[in-house]
Amino acid sequence: MLSSFLTLVSVLVVEFSVTPCSGFVLLRRPSARPSSRAGLKMQLQSVQPLEREIQRVEEDEANAAAGRKVKHVLTLIRHGHSVWNQDNIFTGWVDVPLAKDGEAEAREAGQIMKAADIKPDKVYVSVLKRAIQTTWIALEEMDRMWLPVECNWRLNERHYGGLSGLNKIETVQKHGEEQVHIWRRSYDIPPPPVDKHSQYWPGHDERYKLVPEDELPLSESLKLTKDRFMVAWQGNIVPDLMAGKRLLVSAHGNSLRALVMHLDDISKEVIPSLNIPTGVPLVYYLDKQLKPLRHPDAIEPLSGQYLGDQEKIKARIGAVKAQTGAK
Amino acid sequence: MVVKTLVLVRHGESQWNQENRFTGWTDVPLNETGKNEAKAAGEVLKEKGYSFDIAFTSVLKRAVHTTWNILEELDLHYIPVINSWRLNERHYGALQGLNKAETAAKHGDEQVLVWRRSYDVPPPPLEKADKRWPGNDKMYAHLPREVLPFTECLKDTVERVLPFWFDHIAPELMRDKKVLVAAHGNSLRGLVKHLDGMTEDAVLKLNIPTGVPLVYELDEELKPIKHYYLMDEAELKKKMDAVAQQGKAK
Repeated sequence: MLSSFLTLVSVLVVEFSVTPCSGFVLLRRPSARPSSRAGLKMQLQSVQPLEREIQRVEEDEANAAAGRKVKHVLTLIRHGHSVWNQDNIFTGWVDVPLAKDGEAEAREAGQIMKAADIKPDKVYVSVLKRAIQTTWIALEEMDRMWLPVECNWRLNERHYGGLSGLNKIETVQKHGEEQVHIWRRSYDIPPPPVDKHSQYWPGHDERYKLVPEDELPLSESLKLTKDRFMVAWQGNIVPDLMAGKRLLVSAHGNSLRALVMHLDDISKEVIPSLNIPTGVPLVYYLDKQLKPLRHPDAIEPLSGQYLGDQEKIKARIGAVKAQTGAK
Repeated sequence: MVVKTLVLVRHGESQWNQENRFTGWTDVPLNETGKNEAKAAGEVLKEKGYSFDIAFTSVLKRAVHTTWNILEELDLHYIPVINSWRLNERHYGALQGLNKAETAAKHGDEQVLVWRRSYDVPPPPLEKADKRWPGNDKMYAHLPREVLPFTECLKDTVERVLPFWFDHIAPELMRDKKVLVAAHGNSLRGLVKHLDGMTEDAVLKLNIPTGVPLVYELDEELKPIKHYYLMDEAELKKKMDAVAQQGKAK
């Protein structure tokens, strides 16, 4: 009985964005849903082949005036709904799988990239399965299952320290909205750390056995996330770009924030609330200095181009916020 | 002495197995049966407590899919997966895409048997202009033209698999890594022939059943101590006989 009532409530919440008052708090992230068949068709119709987009970028007034040319193409993709997203839990490094609709988002992203002629030579991904599953599903759609996929922990989501595994609403009720807001949205204040006995300390996980213990986080701010991400950018990704490889970077909300912050020189005041929608390929057109050329359809403060139905994407960028809105 | 573990898995049924067509380097996907076989391989490996540090597979999606399915079952999404054309299935030359029964009806069972089951007689070669030639496939654009086959006999396949064994797979085993190789009937024959020191005649009779993990325990010189399939004997025999039946004209 109770479970079917909860199902009804959750349907109401998802379909109609109803926020139930205190009691049953099942606030779901709105609009991060895969398209219907008609919706997908529209998405694919909005997509132009890569060579045409490169032309558009180079013909754009500012770029043309400066004589800048596109030398490298870098595509970013943020994985979709994980099983913990549904329950609104601070995930971080916890290795939860994609939810069914997250899988559908990955398929859609793959189809969009295929329609856009995005043909990467290699994929960089974190060591977390929600991003790896996204990668595998997208590569299957793109018919590029033979690509080298390099997993690197430095692309992981931000580590949420002592908040890992906690429900976001509960955390707000416990610590207050303001404190949680600071932990989530400040640039350099990390959440409370875990200790080395915690199940959430990465030192217990086999996949990090080749990482020196001192480098494994107990908790991370966005700044710390960026600092460790940038090591992979400089040491792995840049050399591959310079070698002429077209890359796909498949990662998470905060590791991608770190990347775009670097590419577009976004301030630390702005970056914590920048929302990169899930499952929407984000293409960067870089010159030979690895500086982005602004795409005519770019949405501030990014210079990259989201692929797909532009109106739908703009609506989603506004909607990815508010996961702790316990009003 | 640390016993080194090498697990070989031959991918399961593809769409073209169902259609009884010569596949070779054609990049056909697994069908539902094949996907289930991959899943089952992962499940039995999980059940028996196997884990891996690295996986090697070909560039053909039926093997890649098998690899991913096994890793998914074992929760090992994050281990390095190395794709190499050298683990590809044997190239079937001008027979690729043709129906096996029709080919047998046309050329006779015996000729087809020679092409399929001799050690050093390759099927008829492709022309350079044929879109089936790997040189016309962007996937192989970075490879020197001279390694791309127009056709292969088993001898050719073995010869191009072994360099990969020596230079990539063996070093991981020497470092005590637990290795998974998910590949194809003939590329795995190449590895097994080398590991077990089989004669040409013996390897021709070897039928590695699909979807059944074949475990090799190796010593410090990578000589096999023993090998075994992770499946009971009766079921195993049934599977092996089924493979031997393929390709006969009806």
